[in-house]
Amino acid sequence: MEPAEAEFLAEKELVTIVPSFSMDRVHLIGGDLGPFNPGLPVEVPVWLAISLKQRQKCRLIPPEWMDVEKLEEIRDQERKEDTFTPMPSPYYMELTKLLLNYASDNIPKADEIRTLVKDTWDTRMAKLRLSADSFVRQQEAHAKLDNLTLMEINTIGTFLTQALDHMYKLRTNLQPSGSAESQDF
Amino acid sequence: MCWSTSGDSLCLSLFVQGSKLEIPMWLAKGLHDSKRRLISVELPKIYKEAWRTVFSADANVVDLHKMGPYYYGFGSQLLNFDNPENPEIAQTILQTFISRFRRIMDSSQNAYNEDTSSLVARLDELERALFQAGQKGLNDFQCWEKGQASQITVSSLVQNYGKRKFTEMDG
Repeated sequence: MEPAEAEFLAEKELVTIVPSFSMDRVHLIGGDLGPFNPGLPVEVPVWLAISLKQRQKCRLIPPEWMDVEKLEEIRDQERKEDTFTPMPSPYYMELTKLLLNYASDNIPKADEIRTLVKDTWDTRMAKLRLSADSFVRQQEAHAKLDNLTLMEINTIGTFLTQALDHMYKLRTNLQPSGSAESQDF
Repeated sequence: MCWSTSGDSLCLSLFVQGSKLEIPMWLAKGLHDSKRRLISVELPKIYKEAWRTVFSADANVVDLHKMGPYYYGFGSQLLNFDNPENPEIAQTILQTFISRFRRIMDSSQNAYNEDTSSLVARLDELERALFQAGQKGLNDFQCWEKGQASQITVSSLVQNYGKRKFTEMDG
């Protein structure tokens, strides 16, 4: 999966906006949107929020977790624990990128937030690599990691699955070959 | 023994029993037969005990590219030849992969936009392919984060084509 695909999935998440226009309720295949009244907060999917923001038809309200203190707490907990902390959103990375790129004027301390999220991401990726290494070293057959997000899995996924494929082939070498001859490796 | 390749053809003149020759792996596999014992295969030195000890001490220091760039693949093929050391060889190859895994993962997932030639210099071909996979994951992510994922860019395949003028094509 490309990062852009993960972002596409993330855009279904809901975010609060304050529209500057009015419109009746819209019925779409995925569900209803609106009604929109100027000055009244309403929840919409991120894809719509971004589109409206680009056309200057709304103001975005950052999600409750997109706040310096909350993110500092999350970052510190991530650094303390060996396991993965549950993140406030399964799409925290995608939402951070989208909201900070398109609506940073609506988000207080945007730069700090960007840094905090990046720090948390780096810590999580390092933990993921540590887990992967320990999985390979112990030649486990099965592992379970809770609280990982799609973007994290995606970034390391191709590498990890290829490496495990190779390892599997090398492990089958250990069995005495009955008919293990093969033309290609 | 007379074994020569000229251009596309293979010329095989005379095999003398008991002589030592170098032949390609594909041919050795074809000639090998546990019952008829046409050939016996000598292990290349990196799969022998002395080198196996080096690998088990610290596999990370070995230059696997220099030691024949297909350590894993070739080693796996060697196991076809009923050598009594096969279990040890197979185990060493696996353990080598496991010990070197961490470094390949860390370096490929952390080296962004820099010259990676020193990182891949001592990797064998299989490891280099893995390194590429790790780099791709990293590069795709970084490119997306910068917002470049949605920009249309010239494909690297056609970037070097000279532009032709319309009038030239007609002539």
